[in-house]
Amino acid sequence: MTPLYELHDLKQSYRKETLTLDISELSIRSDGITGLVGPNGSGKSTLLKVLSFLMPYDSGTLLYRGEPTAGRESAIRREVTYLLQNSFLLSRSVYENVAFGLKLRRTEPSEVKDRVCESLARVGLDPAEFASRQWYQLSGGEVQRAALAARLALRPRVLLLDEPTANVDEASAQLIMAAAVTEAEEHGTAVIVATHDMPWLYEMSAEIIGLYRGRVTAGAENILQGGWKPEGGHMIRSFPGGQTVYAERTEADAGRAAALDPSDVRVALSRPQQTGSVNIAAGHVVHLTLERGRNSVLVTADVGGSFLKARVPEGDPLCRELYPQREVFFIFPYSSVRWL
Amino acid sequence: MDFIANGFVQAFHLLFTADEETMVILVTTLRLTALSMALILALGLPMGFALGYFTFPGKRALCTVTDTLLALPTVVIGLLVYAFISRRGLLGDWELLFTVEGMAIGQVILGTPIVAAYTASAVEGLDSRLRQTLLTLGASGAKLAAVSLWEARFMILTAALTALGRIVGEVGSAMMLGGNIKWHTRTITTAITLETGKGDFALGIALGVILILISLLLNISLSFLRRRTQN
Repeated sequence: MTPLYELHDLKQSYRKETLTLDISELSIRSDGITGLVGPNGSGKSTLLKVLSFLMPYDSGTLLYRGEPTAGRESAIRREVTYLLQNSFLLSRSVYENVAFGLKLRRTEPSEVKDRVCESLARVGLDPAEFASRQWYQLSGGEVQRAALAARLALRPRVLLLDEPTANVDEASAQLIMAAAVTEAEEHGTAVIVATHDMPWLYEMSAEIIGLYRGRVTAGAENILQGGWKPEGGHMIRSFPGGQTVYAERTEADAGRAAALDPSDVRVALSRPQQTGSVNIAAGHVVHLTLERGRNSVLVTADVGGSFLKARVPEGDPLCRELYPQREVFFIFPYSSVRWL
Repeated sequence: MDFIANGFVQAFHLLFTADEETMVILVTTLRLTALSMALILALGLPMGFALGYFTFPGKRALCTVTDTLLALPTVVIGLLVYAFISRRGLLGDWELLFTVEGMAIGQVILGTPIVAAYTASAVEGLDSRLRQTLLTLGASGAKLAAVSLWEARFMILTAALTALGRIVGEVGSAMMLGGNIKWHTRTITTAITLETGKGDFALGIALGVILILISLLLNISLSFLRRRTQN
């Protein structure tokens, strides 16, 4: 299947000074939910804006469905829609807001009405109650849902969501995420979402892309930032409580931040014998997430106040013995800690 | 002070009996104002949008020039336009001097900077998410501009009403470019100036009452719009 997006050597900078995106290779699948994870300032929003053609990039190649995008931005924007973190409604009624994009596409008036009502219902806004409301008569969560309805009404091929639940109430957050899942599963829309709702993301997404300082990073789920010190031939980072993590020291190490891919971490229920260059970190399970896209379970454990994640195959008998507060040992070689 | 009271009595008589001369002055004023406002909006809105929306070299300088033009004295405008449209001027062949169209040129120069400056300020003050929202919903080009202006509509209406207030009460350039010709280019303000000079307070006060009514209407409209904007 042709990837939805292909990025090669794509660079984007802020005012030509600070590099905000520096992606050598990235493919994004054309179905299901793709998650973007990474700390604040890692470039998630910038990448979404580039993918929605709201922000130009400085250099590199961006292919959309296998074709170059240069000169086709306006046409592609008709298939790709983007929901801002803090959505904005035009100063008109909810109905007019949701119908706006449809009218631009010269949709038949009768169809406009049907699609507006359908979209509002999908985000949990009763059309009879909300359609006639003015933009200033909505709560923050309702604004976000109305804005999402305006995107869903367009029946987009690609829906880009930038922290859609960051500033909304819990009920709205659930409705927004449910609508995103429905859009992906029932309408075949490719949904690309940046969110801090990790359990939801790991459970619902088919693929997760980690970003750190504008670069695609394997293991962005576990970022070990700051506190690294050289010791002998290694770099060492201490956790509160006295546990330490070792990483190999290289010529290029920055000593500032390192990533640990959860797939490189093995989980044990009893402390194994210390052998060679292997870290053993003891912690307590705080969260278990079924990763439907990977057929695995993501185990989050509290290790000396920091949360580390490990991935266990779904069929592994170990999964049946894991539960919150269970003591576990995360085992990973020094070499799996990669410098960023 | 009886002459003032008498003036008011005569003023209402002239208004309610639809005195021909008063009506012609009123119609001339409305014609001139409508023509001027149409041109002011046609020029001022795109200029203001461009100034507020785009970033380009010299933008700040252009904004300063526009702001300076806000305080341009009307007689200076009258003088400059007179020089262009008089027989000896560059546009002399168009025979615009002492016509309503000629007067409109002066008023356009007077009102356009007001609409442009206020529109630029309104567009600059629009929420930065508006553009992204419009683009992501599929708007571009003229539609993007039109919706952005619509979003700033209350400020732009305020700008239009401010410009209207300025040109409808303007006397300097209207007198110089129109010549205050009876039945032809005499407007409310030029007529008041003339009639007061002649000591005929009745017509002057009648026209003054109309001008005050127009001013009142503008202020009521502005208050209404301000309330809408606050919503």
